[in-house]
Amino acid sequence: MSATIGPVAVNTFREAVRDRVLYNLVLFALLMMGAAILVGQISIGIEQLVISNLGLSAISLFGLVMAIFIGVGLVYKEIERRTLYSLLAKPIHRWQFLVGKYAGLLLTLAVNTAFMTLGLAAAFLYVGGRAGRADLPILIAIYFILLELALVTALALFFSCFSSPMLSTLYTLGIYITGVFAPDIRSVGQFTKNPMLLGITRAIYFLVPNFHNFNAIAAAGHGDAIPSSIIWQNSIYAVLYVVLLLVASAAVFSRRNLK
Amino acid sequence: MTSPGQHRVLWTTVVAVPLLLSAIAVVQMRIDAGGRAPGDESDLLLRSPDAVRRMSLGYDALAADIYWTRAVQYYGTRAGTEGARFDQLYPLLDIATALDPKLVAAYHFGAIFLSEPPAVGAGRADLAVALVKRGIAANPGDYLLASDLGFIYYWYLKDYSASANAYLQGSKMPDAPSWLGIMAALVAQRGGSIETSRMIWTEIYNSTQDKTIRERALEMLRDLRAIEDIEVLDQLAQQYKNRVGHFPASSADLRDEGLIRGNPVDPEGYPYVFGPDGRAQLDPQSPVTIPQGLRLPGELPH
Repeated sequence: MSATIGPVAVNTFREAVRDRVLYNLVLFALLMMGAAILVGQISIGIEQLVISNLGLSAISLFGLVMAIFIGVGLVYKEIERRTLYSLLAKPIHRWQFLVGKYAGLLLTLAVNTAFMTLGLAAAFLYVGGRAGRADLPILIAIYFILLELALVTALALFFSCFSSPMLSTLYTLGIYITGVFAPDIRSVGQFTKNPMLLGITRAIYFLVPNFHNFNAIAAAGHGDAIPSSIIWQNSIYAVLYVVLLLVASAAVFSRRNLK
Repeated sequence: MTSPGQHRVLWTTVVAVPLLLSAIAVVQMRIDAGGRAPGDESDLLLRSPDAVRRMSLGYDALAADIYWTRAVQYYGTRAGTEGARFDQLYPLLDIATALDPKLVAAYHFGAIFLSEPPAVGAGRADLAVALVKRGIAANPGDYLLASDLGFIYYWYLKDYSASANAYLQGSKMPDAPSWLGIMAALVAQRGGSIETSRMIWTEIYNSTQDKTIRERALEMLRDLRAIEDIEVLDQLAQQYKNRVGHFPASSADLRDEGLIRGNPVDPEGYPYVFGPDGRAQLDPQSPVTIPQGLRLPGELPH
């Protein structure tokens, strides 16, 4: 199985690198350097905090943009360029192709995030911080961002199996924003006495991926300890959702008429 | 190999891009010179912390940093300007701390910005109290915020009972230093005295790394020293009157009578002067100011 998924994943990663998606690292480096130099001059008492908040937010935002815009084209591009046909002529299942594509993009995002983490560490060193146990919440926050990106990639891939890149982008963004507001959606229902509205908001709350779960940027900035229970619960949540979306994607894609 | 056509495009670009950028800069300068542009930076379009939190799409912490930096810039561009208004300072601080309730710097420094009298600050110590109380509620173990609250009550509102209570609450927090308990007792017993004020400003000086706050603390310690000098000179003037029958006209009279040596000067080097009532005063040119509402040791209840 890995003999078929692996090459697809590696090729997806290579293709992303060839498409110069890692160029965003230059922008990230400039952003962090600018912040490290400027913040001390224009604000008070938040030099380290802003490096952490800005760095983690940028890792998340850059990753999101990559996950959505590359994710929605993963299948579409292969169909457009007709490379999918030669690929599927080989002994590979459609679901294996999808998982390979997904793994390749995830690998790209992980490499990108790893480099940005190094950039963040360099910015911390510049403003006088030191690496140590106190930085553990920041690493956990980055791990949560990766989980978030894994989910967004799966969403983008799912929509790309049956829709155009433009619409897939809109759908993925829509679901992402809804997921960010998941707790607000639930509290809207709790404010009402209408049982039907309460039921609907509860259903939406459990149905959409709850991206609020993965937001540990503020906690990491303040050096707050993140309980291990949240780490494994978030991990299981993300894995379950990703598997759900990949299964759904495979189901849709395997029935899709490619002629 | 590049064709002549490609060369032409390249050179056109090299010439056109800087020219167009310069033209854009010139037009922008004309717009700026024309007065207030739409969306002037002093506008605060969103005043609801909840709305800003929602619009930040989960990046609350970064948005809080941006709002705090805006508050610092807003304060910095107005502080010290005669007649300056600080109407949007509290809303900015409110949004910053609502987005990140653990942004201690915003409570700590924001409270000072709000409390300082015009034109140095907003002169709204009441809002500062509300801000710091919210900070304490969001950061229950932060004894420095309790100390800030005690200081605002003490220095700006002259409410010594509330100040002592705030210091006392701070002293009960985990890891609180012993000086908070001492401060609570001192303020309760001798609120408004110079020695208490000196201790508070010394602690402020020692507990912050911020240059502006440290300079302010040094200024206040300098002013307190002047009050003590004036008190001593007043006593000497009374002794002079007991001997000669009238108050001294200048410190030279005290020197001639052998009560002092040299010419006493304030912490900025300006000589003290004497009024017709024989009381020592600061030279009108001196930058030293006498803080209002402080009680001299002789005025304190025993």
